[in-house]
This record gives sequence, structure tokens and C-alpha cells, in this order.
Amino acid sequence: MKISGIEIEKVNDNLWEIPRTGGMLVPGRIYASEKMLFETIQNDEALKQVVNVAHLPGIQKYSLAMPDIHWGYGFPIGGVAATDINDGVISPGGVGYDINCGVRLAKTSLDYHTIKNRIQKLIENLFHDIPTGVGSSGAIKKQNAKEIKNILRDGAEWAVSNGFGSEEDLLFTEETGKIKDADPDAVSSRAIERGMDQAGTLGSGNHFLEIDIVEKIFDANAANVLGLFENQIVIQIHTGSRGLGYQVCDDYLKILVQSEKKFGFKLPDKQLACAPIKSKEGSDYLGAMRAAANFAWNNRQIIMHLAKNSFKRTLNISDSDLSFGLIYDVCHNIAKIEEHIIDGKAKKVCVHRKGATRAFPSDSKLIPEKYRSIGQPVLIPGDMGRYSFVSVGTEKAMEETFGSSCHGAGRVQSRHQALNEAKGKNLIDELNKKGIVIQAKGYKTIAEEMPHAYKDVSEVVDVMHNAGISTKVAKLKPIGVIKG
Amino acid sequence: MPYKFIEHPADIAVEVDGSSIEELFKSACYAWREAAMDLTSFNKESSKKFIFNGITPEILLIELLSELNFQLYSKKWVFVTIQNLLIEKTDNDYHLEIELFGQTFHPEIHRMKEEIKAITYHQMKIEKIGNQLKTMIVFDV
Repeated sequence: MKISGIEIEKVNDNLWEIPRTGGMLVPGRIYASEKMLFETIQNDEALKQVVNVAHLPGIQKYSLAMPDIHWGYGFPIGGVAATDINDGVISPGGVGYDINCGVRLAKTSLDYHTIKNRIQKLIENLFHDIPTGVGSSGAIKKQNAKEIKNILRDGAEWAVSNGFGSEEDLLFTEETGKIKDADPDAVSSRAIERGMDQAGTLGSGNHFLEIDIVEKIFDANAANVLGLFENQIVIQIHTGSRGLGYQVCDDYLKILVQSEKKFGFKLPDKQLACAPIKSKEGSDYLGAMRAAANFAWNNRQIIMHLAKNSFKRTLNISDSDLSFGLIYDVCHNIAKIEEHIIDGKAKKVCVHRKGATRAFPSDSKLIPEKYRSIGQPVLIPGDMGRYSFVSVGTEKAMEETFGSSCHGAGRVQSRHQALNEAKGKNLIDELNKKGIVIQAKGYKTIAEEMPHAYKDVSEVVDVMHNAGISTKVAKLKPIGVIKG
Repeated sequence: MPYKFIEHPADIAVEVDGSSIEELFKSACYAWREAAMDLTSFNKESSKKFIFNGITPEILLIELLSELNFQLYSKKWVFVTIQNLLIEKTDNDYHLEIELFGQTFHPEIHRMKEEIKAITYHQMKIEKIGNQLKTMIVFDV
């Protein structure tokens, strides 16, 4: 059958294939239910972007899309592509502007019923303590260029060594919050300047900090290992590398678009501009992208520490009474050099995950020792009015998706449509009636981010669960939200 | 205004036009400013000059708008009017010189509407349609 003019074949109930045609070097594969494919995915250019990504030199096996696929720039959001490190390319469009946008989930020992009357105050204090909104700044004192370079090199370790968290937090952060071979010198002075006062800031748009309760446990053993229990209060943080990361992407896109002739690539979209991984341009981007990723891990680490202190102050409790601890931190916009089995042989590839989460299985040495009996936590935020999910990675993800799963819900309404639909409504009251306290810099953000502007994330998570890529552990329900 | 915001699933898209390449670029600058911030209470306090080169007019336009973005979010400076703008084709590429008047952004007076992450290459193509030059610009927010 054809969807939006693209031939597509059903592989099974959760997987669809676009056969290789024209300049495609590999087929495309999309994880989705039939309902999702016909109701939402066909409405934008995302399928065409899956086809475009299949043109990237050195791409291996498939141009993949997770069920939260939607229109991005170059790659679709939800796109995964692995390229051979010897004769393949790296593309900033496969990472996105918000390098290492990601999610972290922290636990407490608090039961919802014991603090339910304090949620309003907690949200007020969190909103006061954590800078939010467009161009937000001032979580910690403005850093000079030298210190920003230290952050770019050391990532979340910088935050911990400056008093924002504990060594244990690093163990439960992907790449221990400090990806190797980051190259601060490959980051422009302009990008550094853009990040100087943004360490520890949430930003705007779909970024948020949420107080959630664990509403339902699907996998008791995995939940137990992660330290999750029903009615538990947990904190979810979604943000990335802020202006510094945007600028890194912008700087290198500029270089690579102008180098197109030099490398002789003919790609269907300028936003797929790329360079051989081992070229100077490719290696500089990789080093700068890793440095920006470290900036993001530092950012989420500082925010988490500020959140912990807000909880302690508001509830007037000690560290031991709060038992605050990081469950895991994942990035969902990144390119990483990893080893995967391709045609029966171990091969080093550059895995681009743009709006996709790493989902390594239980025996992986790259996940915390504590989680090696259950698999890597995959954190999948939904919208602010419904729910989010915690899943774990599987061996099947390694076999089929280069160890990757979904990352979120994805929009179904434009910001403008959401604003129009919000007219005449009091969204704050509507959320309050559902037991959700919200505080944001402006009402416009709340309107743009209203729950029905997003797909139902449970459908996305179920496709990955039913496909055996990442299996469900717990469902979280928001009770307090701060946004930019 | 010689620009029109159009529906986009996640970000901000605008169609801009102009009777010349300079007019098109000016329209794009004003469209960027309307997308990024409220336009009230601005004065011409200071001026800044910029020079860019690019292998295509589209790259030149992205360079210019990216500079405006950088000036706003990093230098806290926003342009109010465009004083001089020159665009010419040289042997190897396109060359742009611009002088802008503007002022420091004061958060207590001015209001930012959106954090524009970047100006994208998506669907950007400067074309002559009738007597007008047109292009689409998508801002990633």
C-alpha cells in the first residue's frame, strides 16, 4: 500500500517497512500500530524523512523510526540510524538542535498521601528555585568561559564536585554524565557565551519539571530493583543543553552545508548535511556534540539538586527522611559510537538517536551494575495532564533497533491550534480539577502544551512493549508541574 | 506586512516576500523579531554593523537571522530598525553588509515570546514568483 505516496509494507502488527528504492541505501522501518500509522504518522512529512535518512552514506541495516515519529529537521523526531564508523557519516540533523535533550527520574521515600496537602507549596518553591522560561538564567552564578569549558569536559561530574549532588548520582546517569572524548575546543566561543548563564536552567517549550506519583506497577521485580512503589513521589526533569547546544548544532550545520561539494554527497535535504565520521569536520562535530551533551548532563544534575533542596526546605525534612536518589538519566538526542552485531559480526557504528532513547538489555556492561538483572531504564514522558512511563531495554532492542526505543508522545496539534483550542478555557483550573498543580512563566506556554496537543503516550509505549523492544515497568501520574 | 505566519505542527513557519533581495531580507528580519518578542517600548539606543558571506542567498539569510538570534539571547540586544543593507553577488559567493539600530533587552520592560533555538534550512528556497522574491523560513522553537 501507499501512504503519502510512499510504498509501505506490513511486517507485523507493530512494524512496517519501506522497501529500498531510488537512492535509498537501506530500507526504512517504522514501529507503529496500524491506528497510529493512519491517524497521525501519515499527516506529516516524517515518512519521507525516513526515506531521506536511508540515503546517508554508510547507513547500516535500516533507517528506523520509533512510534513517536513526527516531522523533524533532516531526521524525523523518533529517528534512529547507525552509520559505519569507517566509511559512514555523522549528521547534526540526526541529533537535533537540543543536543542531549533528555530525562531524569529521581525517587523519594515519600508516599503521596503524606504530602498531598503540600503539593501547591512544593510547586511554588520549585518554581522559585529553578529558573524557567525563555532565556532563563541565574540558577548558579554566571560562569566564565574557562569554567564552561570545564563543564563541557566534565559534565555532571562538574556539578557534583561543586556541591550539586553526590557521586552516586553519576553512577545512575547514562555515560556517568560525562561522555568520553568531548572536545571543548571544538565548541565556538559564541556557543560558550550562549551557555554562560544557563547552567541549571530549565528553559521553555516542552521542557518541564514534574512531581509524579507512581500510579501503577506493571513489572514488580523491575520496579523493586529500581526502587519504585505505588503512590511513591518521584521527580521527573526534562531539559537539555539549552542555548549552548543549539549553537553547536547551528555552527556545524553551517560548516557542513558549505562542505557538501567537498565531500561529494547528494542528499535529499540540506538539514541532512553530514561529514565522514573520520574527517576533520566530522570529528570536530563529534567532539563538540559530546561537549554539549556534557553541558546537558551538568544542567539536569544541578536542577535535580535544586529540586531536592526545595523538597527538604518545603517539607522541613532531613536527607534520610526524604531518601532522595537518582533512578536514571537518559539522553534522547545524541550520536554515539557503539558496537552492534551486523550480519553476524560485531561492528563499530555511530548510532544517531534523535528523539529516541537508548534501551540496552539486562546483561549490558554499559548500564549500572544494579540494573544488570532488569535492563536499562527507558524514561518516556507524556503530556502534563495524563501520564509518563518507565520501561526497560531488552535484547530484542539490540537485535532490531541498535538498542533504541521511543522517547515521548509527540505533538498532534500545532502550537497555534493548541492556543486556539485553549481560548475561553481555564486550563489551570482544568488541571487542578484533575489533581495537577501547575506553575509556568506565562499562560501561553500552558496553552501550547495542553495535554490534547500531544499524542497519547500510552499508545507509543505499548507499541514498543508489544514489539518487545522495551517492556513496561511503571506508569507515573503528574500531580505538580513547572514549565517555562 | 510582507510576511505571513503559517501553520506548522511544532515550530514557527513564516512566508516572507520582497520586491528585491534586500527587501526580502528586511521582511525576514522583521518576521524573526515578531516571532521572538513583543514589539512594544523599543528605542534606537545603539547601532551594530555586521558583514556576512555565503555560497547561496539562503545561507546568507540564515547567517543574518542567526546573528539576530545570538544578539538577542546572548548579548541581550534587539534591533529596532534596519538602517543600511547591501547584498551583492561576488565571483565566489554572496556578500552582505548591514547596519542595525536597536537597544538592550530589558526583561522588566520587554517580553520574549519564544526561545528560537535556530533558523532552519527546512523548506528555505528563495524564488522569484511574478515580480516578488519569496521564501519560507522555519524557526525551531
